[in-house]
Amino acid sequence: MEPPAEVVHWMFGVGLLFLSLCLLAEAIVGPVVWRHRLWRAYLWPSLAFLLGVLMWPVMVFYTSSAIHMLAHSAWAQALMLVGAAQLGLVRGKLHSQLWELTLPVALVVSGLAFLLHEQNPWFFSRSAFLHHALGWTLVAGAVVALGRAVNPRSPAFNAGFAVMVVTVAALLFCDRNVAPIFGHLSPLAGAR
Amino acid sequence: MRAKALAAAVLVALALPTSALAHAVLLQWVPAYGARLATAPREVSLQFDQTVDAFPNAIVVRSSSGKLVTAGPSRTADSGRRVIVPLQRLPKGAYTVRWQVTSNEGHVVSGVYTFGVRVKPPPPTEAYGAGGPTKFEYVARWGYFVGLALLVGGLAFRLLVLRGRPVTPALERRFYWVVGVGVVGSIELGILGFILRAADAFQLPIGQLIYGDLSPLARGTRFGTAFITMTLGFALVAAFLFLAWLLERTILLWPAFILGLVLCSGLSLSGHSAVDVGSTWKSELADYVHLVAACFWVGGLVMLAFVVWPTAPGLRRDAFHRFSQLAAVLVGAMVLAGAYLAYERLPAVSDLWRDRYGQVLLIKGSLVVLALSWGALHHFVVAPALERGRGVGSRAVARSLRGESAVAIAILLVVAVLVDANPPTPRSVKQPTQALVAHK
Repeated sequence: MEPPAEVVHWMFGVGLLFLSLCLLAEAIVGPVVWRHRLWRAYLWPSLAFLLGVLMWPVMVFYTSSAIHMLAHSAWAQALMLVGAAQLGLVRGKLHSQLWELTLPVALVVSGLAFLLHEQNPWFFSRSAFLHHALGWTLVAGAVVALGRAVNPRSPAFNAGFAVMVVTVAALLFCDRNVAPIFGHLSPLAGAR
Repeated sequence: MRAKALAAAVLVALALPTSALAHAVLLQWVPAYGARLATAPREVSLQFDQTVDAFPNAIVVRSSSGKLVTAGPSRTADSGRRVIVPLQRLPKGAYTVRWQVTSNEGHVVSGVYTFGVRVKPPPPTEAYGAGGPTKFEYVARWGYFVGLALLVGGLAFRLLVLRGRPVTPALERRFYWVVGVGVVGSIELGILGFILRAADAFQLPIGQLIYGDLSPLARGTRFGTAFITMTLGFALVAAFLFLAWLLERTILLWPAFILGLVLCSGLSLSGHSAVDVGSTWKSELADYVHLVAACFWVGGLVMLAFVVWPTAPGLRRDAFHRFSQLAAVLVGAMVLAGAYLAYERLPAVSDLWRDRYGQVLLIKGSLVVLALSWGALHHFVVAPALERGRGVGSRAVARSLRGESAVAIAILLVVAVLVDANPPTPRSVKQPTQALVAHK
């Protein structure tokens, strides 16, 4: 009844790509120009929050293993937390800049969820490779996000963060349920 | 040089395969889980997405009385992707399949499901060998009820008791903390409860359960349906609450409140009042009224004691008076619905002290009497005194409110135990199906 897992990954890839393009645009033109229209400041946090809400159906309908369920739950909460904290800061409802730290924390949690829930080695199949790549990208992205939290005006950190989200979106688009990676597919994963 | 070495180490770490192991995913069950078959199957066959190793006892099939009904050892087929076990000639009845295979790289994957031959099979939670709830489950369920009460009761208090009243920023801030804790608690403890229920059904250590296939539990049971619906619903409630806080629009609390009220029915539609022998729509309705009234009462008390009293002295008298009026209605509804449910579930008065369910109910009743006496003191003594302008700043009143809240929350702990206890079977009702007998 549910769509194949890869299709769901592509859907979230679309959402993250749009989010990353907003971040990239902000990094290129600078926050001052980007926020010349106030609604633009709400754009990526709202999208992150929405993606978090939309992750819950994935969590409850894909229950082939408990660890997958828990991983999806972690991503849903991480996305909602990041979106909510950023919206609160933009709106002026939150004042402490410590809320900026929710972003690196959420990225670490999301990355670890990818790494822990993928039980196969890197070259088992393409999806396994991508899960590992996504996990490490997010963990590395947390360092960039931390730098961005400390120095929000830094073009390097802003651009680095945007590129990290573009990478995550691209990796999600590459996902296939059963497909080789660099020409290799484990016989256990379906190679005949 | 050091930087280069570090970069090389990072690259090697990333490039090396992890020590984590492959695990197989079950693609197909034959017979399907929850199937009611017209004819007895000759074998049970499980198709995996990858090669697995199967020991001779990889698939164990038992009847509702626990009798082993396999006719030989398990074997693999289809290049190790399919595991098959032959069956004896199965008579009419419910059967439990427990399977456990090892992925070629060492991971143990397992699961449980049920099917029936000319009878409706029980849900996996009532499969043969499924365990009962643990003390940890009681605590988790208690936390879940507290979360639900904070959420639904807190919203009811804000929208009904404080309606049209000027609310201070401090009160508003604390209100959002309380209902925020309520909704997050409901989501998190709901997930934990689902995993714990799966652990009961699978009878596996948590290390192996994390690779267990939970689909039969999520799709094949009322509990699973309630879990799916309530998790999705509470995520929406969280979104509405957040938007109400962010945009400072109280009107957005209404959809959160209504959704919360609707979601409460998930418990009534998947609990004793819905699935036990002799359940009717009246027992479901009574359970729902009982639950909602209790949530309003407990959550309202917490709001009054921990939100209004410390943050809004100007609202104390008014809020106390209005909640006192509402509480009288709530308590009436709660007691009536509870009495009806007790009458339905306990065939004889002596069950109150003879049956475990009755004993827990007796403890709950005693605590309710204590809480109601406390409430009556507030209603008939404190409320009139506050009306006369006395005791508004009294610490004794604040302490008394906190005390009543504590008793109300303690009642929820007893309820958490009661929910997992099996009420005695009414004498008027015929013995339950074979499947339920297996569970007992």
